[in-house]
Amino acid sequence: MKLYLGWLYPELMSTYGDRGNIIALSYWAKILGIDLLVYSISLNDPPEKILKMDILFMGGAQDKQQEIVSRDLKNEKREALKKAVEEEVPGLFVCGAYQFLGRYYKKADGTKIPGLSIFDFYTENPGSNFPRLIGDIGIKTKISNNEIVVGFENHGGRTYLSNKSLAFGEVIFGFGNNGKDKTEGIFHKNTIATYLHGPILPKNPKITFFLLKKAIERKYKRKIFLKKFDEEWEKKAREMVIRVNLDKAGKLANL
Amino acid sequence: MVFYLSIVLGKLIALIIRIFGIGAGSTWPGHLVLSLDSKFIKKIIKRNPSLKIFIITGTNGKTTTVALLKHLLEKNNISCFSNQEGANLLSGIASALIKNSSIGGKIIKEVGVFEVDEFNFPLALKELSPLAIIILNLFRDQLDRYGEINTVFSRWFEALKSISSSTTVFLNGDDPQLYYLGQKISCRVLYFGLEQKKMPFKKIPHDVDFNYCPICFKLLRYKRIAYSHLGKFFCQNCDFRQTNIFTLKENLENFSLRGIYNQYNITAVFFLLEKVFNFSVNKLKLTLTDFLPAFGRQERINYKKRDFYLWLSKNPAGFNQSIEAVISFVKSKKNVFWLILNNRVPDGHDVSWIWDVDFKKIISRAKKIFVSGDRVYDMALRLKYEQVTLKKMIIVNQDLKKTLLKIIDETKEGEEVFIFPNYSAMLELRKILVGKKFL
Repeated sequence: MKLYLGWLYPELMSTYGDRGNIIALSYWAKILGIDLLVYSISLNDPPEKILKMDILFMGGAQDKQQEIVSRDLKNEKREALKKAVEEEVPGLFVCGAYQFLGRYYKKADGTKIPGLSIFDFYTENPGSNFPRLIGDIGIKTKISNNEIVVGFENHGGRTYLSNKSLAFGEVIFGFGNNGKDKTEGIFHKNTIATYLHGPILPKNPKITFFLLKKAIERKYKRKIFLKKFDEEWEKKAREMVIRVNLDKAGKLANL
Repeated sequence: MVFYLSIVLGKLIALIIRIFGIGAGSTWPGHLVLSLDSKFIKKIIKRNPSLKIFIITGTNGKTTTVALLKHLLEKNNISCFSNQEGANLLSGIASALIKNSSIGGKIIKEVGVFEVDEFNFPLALKELSPLAIIILNLFRDQLDRYGEINTVFSRWFEALKSISSSTTVFLNGDDPQLYYLGQKISCRVLYFGLEQKKMPFKKIPHDVDFNYCPICFKLLRYKRIAYSHLGKFFCQNCDFRQTNIFTLKENLENFSLRGIYNQYNITAVFFLLEKVFNFSVNKLKLTLTDFLPAFGRQERINYKKRDFYLWLSKNPAGFNQSIEAVISFVKSKKNVFWLILNNRVPDGHDVSWIWDVDFKKIISRAKKIFVSGDRVYDMALRLKYEQVTLKKMIIVNQDLKKTLLKIIDETKEGEEVFIFPNYSAMLELRKILVGKKFL
């Protein structure tokens, strides 16, 4: 079985160890006997390239790099990405890439950068008087069978979903989309968009496995199962973060 | 009056700290004095118009560059002082000034060399009137603490726009973003860099931050790359490229200044000394040989008859450079490595940066890799995910002392152990190995 993984703008959208997600997908693909080929989709690449992919990934970026990308990811290229999402190509979009998928991003100075409008949400940076949302984060997600997914978040923008039931997870500790409504990310049609970096996949193999499984189902119409796998260090890495954060909040006993 | 009182009080505090052995006295005296008189630094500098001040900043190499500059000045009979490592906020600078001044506020030494971190650089610039500034590089580092590097860059740019025309800025001209900075500011700017033939890479590596043209935002191309985004760059679209770069023809190898990143530090220091004091490169070369590393930077500590090498590695560009340098000089085919990852305040809380480090070269030259620290499992996973069959080669233990015992157990006398700790991990381990606290 062969899968094509499209990494969108790797040299520009790669700020918080985003490469770790590619490394994790490659690692588990190897264990599952899947031949995973990674392709860069970057500036000046044709839109058709996006449509050849079985999995899509796009990482976080700083404002400047995000501007460069937004000048490239428009018209047919935007439509191609939208089509891929609609056609249920599994995808992971982290931080800046998450914000891209919405209707707009309002910068700290008030200017609005239009998004790709693939999903119905918007992001606003309340201005420099408000702190960035930085720290460990733990969320419960359906994909992980309610096991806590652990990561790190660092974002100035606050994201508001028009339909909260589309959230990727429920915040257990940390801020999530906006620090208020306990929602984190968005999950729709096999696309996961989230503020969790860290990066998210190495520590949370259930999410990694979900992306690979869906890609195989979609392309080869067959189901794959991971019967026995060694998750010792992943689990301990998560537990370390969960312990520190729930101890702080005094919540450990309630869990 | 407040001024003299401040100095006396500051000196008194330093004395008390020393007598009771409660620290190095490298920040508290300054902290106290600045709370009494926020303009203290400006005032004392005004009273010492002949004192030459050099500021060293950048993401990596500050401490080594300050140590090297001090070493070469002293070897050439120029008296100097600096703030202590780790004490690179204004309080640390004030403490160093108090320590080196008379009660009357007079500083006899000729030169003050100050290490200032990326965040505090604009603040320090306002207080000190430096004769020269060295900006070594700018890489991603502790994004949750310092912010994204575009933000750091903008703050530097704003601060440098208004500095006096008597200041000379020595910039790393192989860094496209810093080269661009030099073109935009009005004071005297000089660039240092490396000869193209000394640059080892052709392909742009993963750990780059500024790989696009700062003028037209197209991706930059490189003739050669030294490391990260440092190299001989050019923009195919708008022809942005570097000119007038000071380089050293020869490779100045010193056993404690290994690695290509140290070639930049050496070049910057030589260039500054040549421009400010008219020292010739040949003369400086002779006094380079007996330079010893700053602690934790390529430092060798003999413990229970094993040689432990400490290579402080705290961000992707720095870590990748440590690995390159170690691999270039290890003698054995298979070695013992020890990676220690903490995430305390001085390290930044976010450990995601380890995924931007390339560990393949360590793995291919390892017989065992020990992993420790607060975030031991994050580091263990980083290694495990590099190679499916790797797990049995990795020994995981959060505790440093226990791991050290295990390493002693599993190595022979005379064997070498190569350690890559981040900042607080380096301090912690050094305390265990040499038996005393440094900071």
